[in-house]
Amino acid sequence: MNKFLEAFVNIFKIPDLRKRVLFTLGLLAVYRLGAQIPTPGVNAARLQAFFQENQNTFFGFIDLFSGGMLSRLTVFALGIMPYITASIILQLMTVVVPALEKLQKEGELGRRKITQWTRYLTVILAIVQSFGIATALQTADSGFVLNPGIGFILMTIISLTTGTAFIMWLGEQISERGIGNGMSLIIFAGIVIGLPEAMVEIYTNVMVTRQWDPFQMIIILSVMIAVVGFIVLVERGERRIPVQYAKRVVGRKMMGGQSTHLPLKVNAGGVIPVIFASSLLAIPQSFMQFEGIRNSSWLRPMLESISHSMPLYFLIYTVGIIFFCFFYVSIIFNPNEAADNMRKYGGFIPGIRPGRNTADYMNKILTRITMVGGLYLALLSIIPEVMISGIKLQRLPLMGNWIDSNFPRWLLDGLGVSFYFGGTSLLIVVGVAMDTVNQVEAQLIMRHYEGFTPRSGRIRGRRAVF
Amino acid sequence: MGDIYRMLGLTVGHIQQGMTAGERREAYACDVTYATANEVGFDLLRDQLALEVAEAVHRGFHAAVIDEVDSILIDEARIPLVVAGGDEAGEKLAAAANVVVTGMRAGWHYHADQHGRNVMLTDGGVAVAERFFGCGNLFEEGNLNVHTAVQDALHAHALLRRDVDYIVRGGKVESVDEFKGRVVADRRWPAGLHTAVEMKEGVAAKPQGMILGSITLQNLVGLYEHVCGMTGTAATQAAEFHKLYGMEVEVIETNRPVIREDHPDARFRTVRDKERAVVEQIRRLRETGQPVLVGTASVEESERLSGMLDGIPHQVLNARNDEAEAAIIAGAGERGAVTVSTNMAGRGTDIRLGEGVAELGGLFVIGTNRHESRRIDNQLRGRAGRQGDPGASRFFVSFEDSLMVKYGGLDPDFREDPEAVQRIVEGANLQVREFLNKYEGVIEGQRRRIQELRQSWLEGRMEGGELERLAWLRTIDELWSDHLARVADLKAGVHWFSMGGREPLHEYLQRVHAWFQELEESLEGEADRRLEEAEAGGMDLRQRGAVWTYLTTDQPFGTMTERVMKGLMRKRKSGRVWG
Repeated sequence: MNKFLEAFVNIFKIPDLRKRVLFTLGLLAVYRLGAQIPTPGVNAARLQAFFQENQNTFFGFIDLFSGGMLSRLTVFALGIMPYITASIILQLMTVVVPALEKLQKEGELGRRKITQWTRYLTVILAIVQSFGIATALQTADSGFVLNPGIGFILMTIISLTTGTAFIMWLGEQISERGIGNGMSLIIFAGIVIGLPEAMVEIYTNVMVTRQWDPFQMIIILSVMIAVVGFIVLVERGERRIPVQYAKRVVGRKMMGGQSTHLPLKVNAGGVIPVIFASSLLAIPQSFMQFEGIRNSSWLRPMLESISHSMPLYFLIYTVGIIFFCFFYVSIIFNPNEAADNMRKYGGFIPGIRPGRNTADYMNKILTRITMVGGLYLALLSIIPEVMISGIKLQRLPLMGNWIDSNFPRWLLDGLGVSFYFGGTSLLIVVGVAMDTVNQVEAQLIMRHYEGFTPRSGRIRGRRAVF
Repeated sequence: MGDIYRMLGLTVGHIQQGMTAGERREAYACDVTYATANEVGFDLLRDQLALEVAEAVHRGFHAAVIDEVDSILIDEARIPLVVAGGDEAGEKLAAAANVVVTGMRAGWHYHADQHGRNVMLTDGGVAVAERFFGCGNLFEEGNLNVHTAVQDALHAHALLRRDVDYIVRGGKVESVDEFKGRVVADRRWPAGLHTAVEMKEGVAAKPQGMILGSITLQNLVGLYEHVCGMTGTAATQAAEFHKLYGMEVEVIETNRPVIREDHPDARFRTVRDKERAVVEQIRRLRETGQPVLVGTASVEESERLSGMLDGIPHQVLNARNDEAEAAIIAGAGERGAVTVSTNMAGRGTDIRLGEGVAELGGLFVIGTNRHESRRIDNQLRGRAGRQGDPGASRFFVSFEDSLMVKYGGLDPDFREDPEAVQRIVEGANLQVREFLNKYEGVIEGQRRRIQELRQSWLEGRMEGGELERLAWLRTIDELWSDHLARVADLKAGVHWFSMGGREPLHEYLQRVHAWFQELEESLEGEADRRLEEAEAGGMDLRQRGAVWTYLTTDQPFGTMTERVMKGLMRKRKSGRVWG
């Protein structure tokens, strides 16, 4: 803690770093400011009520990413989601489309092109999404829109798309001239902005309305703290595969130890597997919007059995998350390619032959570690859901009644709390925070030796006069 | 110039290879000292190992005026100067490895990549080596020495080409500088590789010790409070000078206007077509009597072209006959002279025109290749049209040239435009240099810090007896040397961090920082240990084996670090949103 404080003080001692941090905070403030500007022509109160009802569905998830701006339909309502979708699409396409893969490998120029396309795609996605939102609001017939018509649609498209483009610009500016990854920090800001609110809510629930007893509060808070600690632990977790080079070992090597290794992260995919899995589960739920399906005698129970808080839902969710973990890892890390690469650079894993053997070895480790990572992600995603509405184990056939009477209520019905600060958002917050801290730390280390190094500017010839 | 300085009451000295420490000390004590950057660097490195204040030859760093500044601060900025000592082993192993590798065939026992930058053993090759040495799995920890020797021998055989990358002369392997096309005194490849080349060519091996200290020219220059320089080719690199050194580039008008005619490139499909056209052009110029200077990319190419010029009297100037350089250059501007050269006749060479040559159009410079950097091309062009003389230049390029083969595939739009390819390559190289700068800045900071501590022990400013002083100096040198080796190891493998999804710069900095702290903490204990040993009579603290200095380079395949960084930047920039 002391070290942390010291680092914090150091940040403000170093002018360049201070400037970067303040720049970042300033732009995040601009982002929050824009997040207060509502889109014209919308009945905000009605809309908010709608989202309140659908908090735990896919809508809620998207709303989370936009920092609650979708429910209020501010000009930043689409948030950074279109950009994320666009970059995921392009990332996936680089795997599939050889031309793109080539482009990505062609260095700076190619990457710049891909970035440019990501921006275009973001705008296109934003237009499509805002059009969808505008028409949905109009046809929903719930009095969301004050003056329906083509004018409203156009106005919504323009305000929302511009909003997204502006956020994208903010994010890029932060990445370039501030500190940390701008896009991640914007998501981060959107999530943590809800923290004080959640705290106030807990406070009122306990101290004012006395809805909960202090015991419940302690459970919730300790679970939250435990989860944060657990996330930090696992996110830092990695398996280090030693890499050796055919190089002459000179000197006595008084300070031994393998310095070169390939770190395989426990959770390589971050939150992406969770997003994929929950999107997958959201699709059947959206069918329930249709009258015909809702009235069907066999489709309805089927869909209901995989709706939130049902045992089957948890099962599919868990399996889905683990599956997408493997899927994502297979995209970002190819053991064969890594083994080839290692061989090409003259490296090898001690005791293991290069090529096939090395690939197999890495594959084996990767499989194990990804399994663990998948279980961890699943656990993390399930905890908040259980806390909100429990696992309806009593709906299981045969033993349902017995479970109903013998299991604790909080497990079966949940605590009924709006556990806004849920598992996945915690994962994002912790991940972004760790990244940003790492970056700051790197800067601090570099500055630590700076008094001794020539930084650009120190070697300064006077303007040539001869 | 010396006379002017002396007239102004300043003392002038110079440093040359082969001078004694005393002579050097005297020269450095002068107000103005002329020296090559390498000599200055080597002296610094030796000073840093001194056990007495009086042994040091430098007297601090104040102002530097650098001639051909782009060559020093850009082309050669990254080449480490090295001081090494002790530990001579591995010659037998290298000889054995050389025997094995000599029997290997490309494609069957090993694969070399198309750019000639990497080579690896196939499973068949591994089996051959394992059988030869009878050592079992080559990749076991215990076989590292054997494995390394084989790998070095393989590099020497498959990647380093005689007469391109090095020449053999007087029973010695001499490496050839890529930019200058001339032999560089005192340059070696890293450790075992140099021995492997010597084995390959059957010459006596030079001792290979452990690196006791090293510094790059860039960091050496950084020691000076004031730095400036001059060159004819800085304008294209103005941005780089500003970014890396904070130096501004000012263009100064030439003494007389340049009236040289720079013809647009002549382009060809194949190298064969190109070379035929070059010969044809030389023949035509020869008829009018206009002198020609042909700049080629390697010793080998200069000799091949020379072979094609039958019937045309000409001179060849390359690393092999550099002793004749002055005479050849003196005649290169005469009527009817044809000179085929490597980049040797580039930077700094002044070719005077013979009588009546100016009327014929002056010197005609032909470049047979575009270099990776436009500056090197411009240097070659600059041989013609000096001091307002007439002159002309023309580059002949083909799509089979190594520049185009290596990088032309970058973007289809540029496949046919060498200059655009050059711009892209220059941009990429700048990025690599900037990136490396970040990685190395910390080490340089640590070097200065440890040096400061060493200096105070050296000067006897710390408390303790003479023996303790020596013990500390030895400890600092040894631990620092270890630290360097460890960091080099880390750097070679840093791209694995990014492949595993970690931020490489952060991981690297964290470790390097921690190791240095560890080093600082263990200094005292280690010094005490040595002191005790010395007091018990088991160790002579003054005793140090021979120390020698050299330049090191990986240029033929690009340094490992550079290769790694290039790959790294690709990964890093691929835009991971999720951090």
